[in-house]
Amino acid sequence: MLPYPSGSWMPVALSADLPAGTVMPAQTPVGPIALWRSRSGRAAAFADRCPHRGMRLSRGFVRGEALSCIYHGWSYAQAGNCLRIPAHPGLTPPETIGVATQPVEDSGGIIWISVGEPTARPPRFDGLAPLRSMIVEAGIAALEAAAGTKADGGLLDYAQNAQTLRLLLTPQGKARTLMHVLVDEGTGPAKRIAASRAAETLRRTAEDILRSDVAQ
Amino acid sequence: MKLYDYVLSPSCYKARLMAALTGVKLDIRPVDFHPGAEHRGPELMALNPAGSIPILEDGDLVLTESSAMLVYLAAKAAPQWLGNDTALQAARVQQWLSFSHRLTGSLGAARLHEMLLRPGDIATLHGQGIAALRELEAGLVEQHIRGQRFLASDRPTIADVACFPYVALAPDGGVSLDPYPAIRLWSRAIRSLEGFIEMPGIHRLHELKPEPVLEAGEA
Repeated sequence: MLPYPSGSWMPVALSADLPAGTVMPAQTPVGPIALWRSRSGRAAAFADRCPHRGMRLSRGFVRGEALSCIYHGWSYAQAGNCLRIPAHPGLTPPETIGVATQPVEDSGGIIWISVGEPTARPPRFDGLAPLRSMIVEAGIAALEAAAGTKADGGLLDYAQNAQTLRLLLTPQGKARTLMHVLVDEGTGPAKRIAASRAAETLRRTAEDILRSDVAQ
Repeated sequence: MKLYDYVLSPSCYKARLMAALTGVKLDIRPVDFHPGAEHRGPELMALNPAGSIPILEDGDLVLTESSAMLVYLAAKAAPQWLGNDTALQAARVQQWLSFSHRLTGSLGAARLHEMLLRPGDIATLHGQGIAALRELEAGLVEQHIRGQRFLASDRPTIADVACFPYVALAPDGGVSLDPYPAIRLWSRAIRSLEGFIEMPGIHRLHELKPEPVLEAGEA
C-alpha cells in the first residue's frame, strides 16, 4: 500500500532549496517529478518527462513563467500546456501537447505535493523551521531504532546535545527515506550547525543498523 | 602561458575555467589523451614524468598539479580568488583543495571506468564518491547557515574551482546528484559567475541569456 493515499500531502522539498527561476527533481509514489518555481515565485510540479522525447524536465531551465526542456527547448506554462516549440517558431502548439501536473502547496518553508486531488490543507508545524533535506539509505524502522523513538504522524523526535530535532520522514521505497530536518524557530547559527551534524550522525547510525540487519 | 590540455578532462577544465574567470589568456596545446595516449609519449613525459595532464608551462615554471595551477593563475591575475583574508578562510581553502583529490580518486575514477573502461571496483568507487558528495553537501549546508554561498567564503575561491568539475560530472560515472540540494544551488552559483565557461557535460545556465528569437521559416 502506498504510504501516501490519494488526496494526502507529501513533503517533497524545502522551499529554500527551490529559489525563483529554478527546477529540481523529486520523487513521489506516482513517479519522478520536476519541481520548479517561476520567476514570479510560483511553484509547480510536472511529471519528469518531456512529452516530446522523454527527456527529464528537471534537467531543464526556467525563463520567466515557463519551464523549458534542455533537449529541444519545448517550453511549458505552469498549467502544463506547451507554450512554444523553438524548431517551429510560427506554430502555436496544439492544446493536446501538455505535461501532467500535480497540486503543489508551498507553506511553512516546505513544498508539498498532493497525490490526486487534495482533501485538506497540508499539515503545519508551528514553531518549527526547516533546516535541510537529506536522503537516508535506510527505512523508517532503522531511523526509529537509531533515534530511540517512534515516528508519530511522519515526525520523529531525535534528542541530541541538549536540542531536539524534529525529523519529517517520507519513505521512498523500502530502504530509502527522504528526511527533512526541522529545528525550533529562532535557533541560532551555532545550534543549527550542531543540528545539521547531529542529523548526519543519525543517518550514519540508521544506515549501519540497516547494514548489520542485512548481514545477519 | 601554455596549457597542455584535453577537452574531456575535468582537471584540465579546472585550469581553463580558472583562467576564464580571472581573465587570463591561455595558449592551449591540445593533447591526444584518448585514444593516442600522447601524455605517455616522449615529449610530454620529458615535461611531466608522472605522465598526467594538465601541464601548465610559463617560462621555466612547469606545473603538473591542478591545485598549484589554480593558485598560480589566481595569484597572478586575481588574488581575491586565493581566499586568504583570514586564518579561517585560508584554512577552509586548503581543506577543500586537499579534499578535491578525493573527488578525483572516487568520482573521477568512476567516470574513467564508465567512459574509457579503465579498471576499478565500481561499487567501491561509487561508495567513496557518495561519501565525498555527502561531505561536500554538509559543508555547503553549514556555509549557508553562516550566510556564505561558496565553500570558503561568500565569494568564490580556488577551492570552488577545484571541487566543481568532478562533482558536476559525477553522473558520467554513474553517481546521481539528485539527493544534494545544497550542491545544486552551489553549482548554479558557480555557473552564474561572470566569465564562466562550459566543458562537454557541464553546460551554462541557458536562462541567463534572453530567449533567442527566430522568425518563422528561419529554423
